Amino acid sequence: MTASIDTPDITSAVTRRGAELYETQREDIIRRTDRFFVVLMPLQWLAGIAAALWISPRTWAGAQSSIHVHVWAAVFLGGAISSLPLAMIWMQPGKASTRHVIGVAQMLTSALLIHLTGGRIETHFHVFGSLAILACYRDWRVLLSATVVVAVDHLVRGIYWPQSVFGVLTASPWRWLEHAGWVVFEDIFLITSIRQSLAEMRLIAERQANLEDVNHSLEQRARELESEIHERKQAELQLEQNQKFAEASRAAGRAEVATGVLHNVGNVLNSVNVSATLVQEQMAASKLLLLRQAADLLRQHLDDAPAFITNDPKGRVLPGVLVKLTAAAANEQSRWHEEMKNLRKNIEHMREIVAMQQAYARVGGVTELLAPAELVHDALQINAAGLERHGVEIRRFFEDVPRVKVDRHKVMQILINLISNAKYALDASTTVSKELSIHIAPNGGGSVKIIVEDNGVGIPSENLNKIFGHGFTTKKEGHGFGLHSGALAAQEMGGQLTAVSEGPGRGARFILELPAVKFEPAPQLQLA
Amino acid sequence: MKPILIKQRRVSPVITLLWLGVTVGGTIAMMCYSLKPGLTGTPPSEWPAASKVVPSADGPTLLMFVHPKCPCSDASVGELALLMAHCKGHVKVHVFFVKPPGQTTNWVLTSMWRKASQIPGVAVARDDDGREARLFGAATSGGVALFDVHGQLRFHGGITAGRGHSGDNSGRDAIQALILDGTSAVTQTPVFGCDLFECRANGQKGPP
Repeated sequence: MTASIDTPDITSAVTRRGAELYETQREDIIRRTDRFFVVLMPLQWLAGIAAALWISPRTWAGAQSSIHVHVWAAVFLGGAISSLPLAMIWMQPGKASTRHVIGVAQMLTSALLIHLTGGRIETHFHVFGSLAILACYRDWRVLLSATVVVAVDHLVRGIYWPQSVFGVLTASPWRWLEHAGWVVFEDIFLITSIRQSLAEMRLIAERQANLEDVNHSLEQRARELESEIHERKQAELQLEQNQKFAEASRAAGRAEVATGVLHNVGNVLNSVNVSATLVQEQMAASKLLLLRQAADLLRQHLDDAPAFITNDPKGRVLPGVLVKLTAAAANEQSRWHEEMKNLRKNIEHMREIVAMQQAYARVGGVTELLAPAELVHDALQINAAGLERHGVEIRRFFEDVPRVKVDRHKVMQILINLISNAKYALDASTTVSKELSIHIAPNGGGSVKIIVEDNGVGIPSENLNKIFGHGFTTKKEGHGFGLHSGALAAQEMGGQLTAVSEGPGRGARFILELPAVKFEPAPQLQLA
Repeated sequence: MKPILIKQRRVSPVITLLWLGVTVGGTIAMMCYSLKPGLTGTPPSEWPAASKVVPSADGPTLLMFVHPKCPCSDASVGELALLMAHCKGHVKVHVFFVKPPGQTTNWVLTSMWRKASQIPGVAVARDDDGREARLFGAATSGGVALFDVHGQLRFHGGITAGRGHSGDNSGRDAIQALILDGTSAVTQTPVFGCDLFECRANGQKGPP
């Protein structure tokens, strides 16, 4: 596996994702805190009213009383303080201005509650509690807004109404700093806590981004593995299919060989039949019958043979007849001998054909060192009858080449198929001179090429890339796996099978490249 | 996926400033109310002979007059408790709960009565019809008057910094100084509390 996950692009993407998660988390926290104040603010308002009603419900003058100002303040001032923050949370949640207004409102609420509770020291804790709640925003600026409200309140009141805040008229003008100082004291801890919390949030966001990235990589790897498994299964299926095709092709090849053999044997049998008939006819019309009659006539006159030959008219012609019959018998013997010779030759030919068929009918898989010319010769022999029948002229261009290291049966399968295809291409062509050229030549790089070339119908350029595909055929009876399995077989042997054609009507050339041993000229085949 | 657009309305800054003005103004108004003193009483410079209470012969005597229902005076009683924490044994204290005419005895028995009764060294008494309050010129609940051992008025006023506002205040400091040290620069402070009498309701500026 490469170190691609550490590349700068991916790192920056992870960083961006981390920042995105961090911002999302912050927004969530801010909105959650906003929602918290939606509950808190009305509660504070109600608490203020309750405190006013409990502590100072009425103001008195002797026996007369009226509603205390604190009650009105709790209702209206408290309501006013809570109104804008609630409206802002509803209308613009999450905005910085919203939480700053909330911070200011909290401090004003603190002031109201302190007043309503008679300045109880305990109520002052509302200020510190509010600051802690405001810290939930994890925005130190909100604490600053709230602190400024407290500081300004104490500063102004310390200057103009010191008694209201410090209880004495003679307090130091800087005493407000003492009060604000405690708020700042809390702020320091809260701000430190906020900074730490934000740092942790950022760290968590970065970790989550990293985890997402790792997860993504794992998912991608899993998909790749699935894809690889699928491809391998497909390849296995393809291989299995190819093996089936190859087997089918070999079977077809063997059938082709058998067909060729039967065809050739049939042809030879024709010759044998002709020879036998000829001999029979010759024997039927043989002059030897006349010789027999002459011999019978002579036997009848054995006692007076000299007188018969001398005096009898038949006897006088008998010597001449015998001389002619002897000459005719010698002539007949010569013809019979010739016919018997042909007969024997044809029988031998049949034996060779059968022997060759038996040789190629064996199970393949054995790599041998073979002479290319021998393989070509055998392939031509198997197709000879068909080629002859279609009037195909065979031209051989064999150069000195080393022996090839191949599976005989696979090469034969390929060559027989190529020659057969050429035969069909020539048959389908209107060309008068049907030529099939076989070239054997060194190919360079330690291989040998066998070229099967015809001047038949040719191959359209759009079909050149398809002809080796499985199922592609232009023959009516074709199956489309001859060239496909041939190309695979060539690859299996370390060679290759390619095709060249200049187009329809321009013939085709199939080049079979086969691995060869170091140059060692193959023995020249004595071709008949 | 088409993003969902939420049209977010914005609160006008003018509204925000208006809100700030209203709330800050309201807070200031409430503060002004808290700091608005009650009627200034006119206590006699010497202990009135008509009083049913006699001044202490061993030290100063502190008198406090309270409206039983005044919410602001609760802070005054609380400040008195603080004062007594420092001055117990050095001063005699009487707290009078003014009972307007026509009210029952129970009318004065409030939580503030009980709170004052629990302060050590403090004598709590009902002041029917505000007789003692009138004798000592008290007009506002929570007001106190300190007389020395000779019956001379040394201080009068309130012992809270605002209406019902607990905490440090000049009055308490002054009384503590007079009791313990015998001297104080402050001899009078404003009183924050309800009117003891219905004088203002009747258009009068002081207690009848």
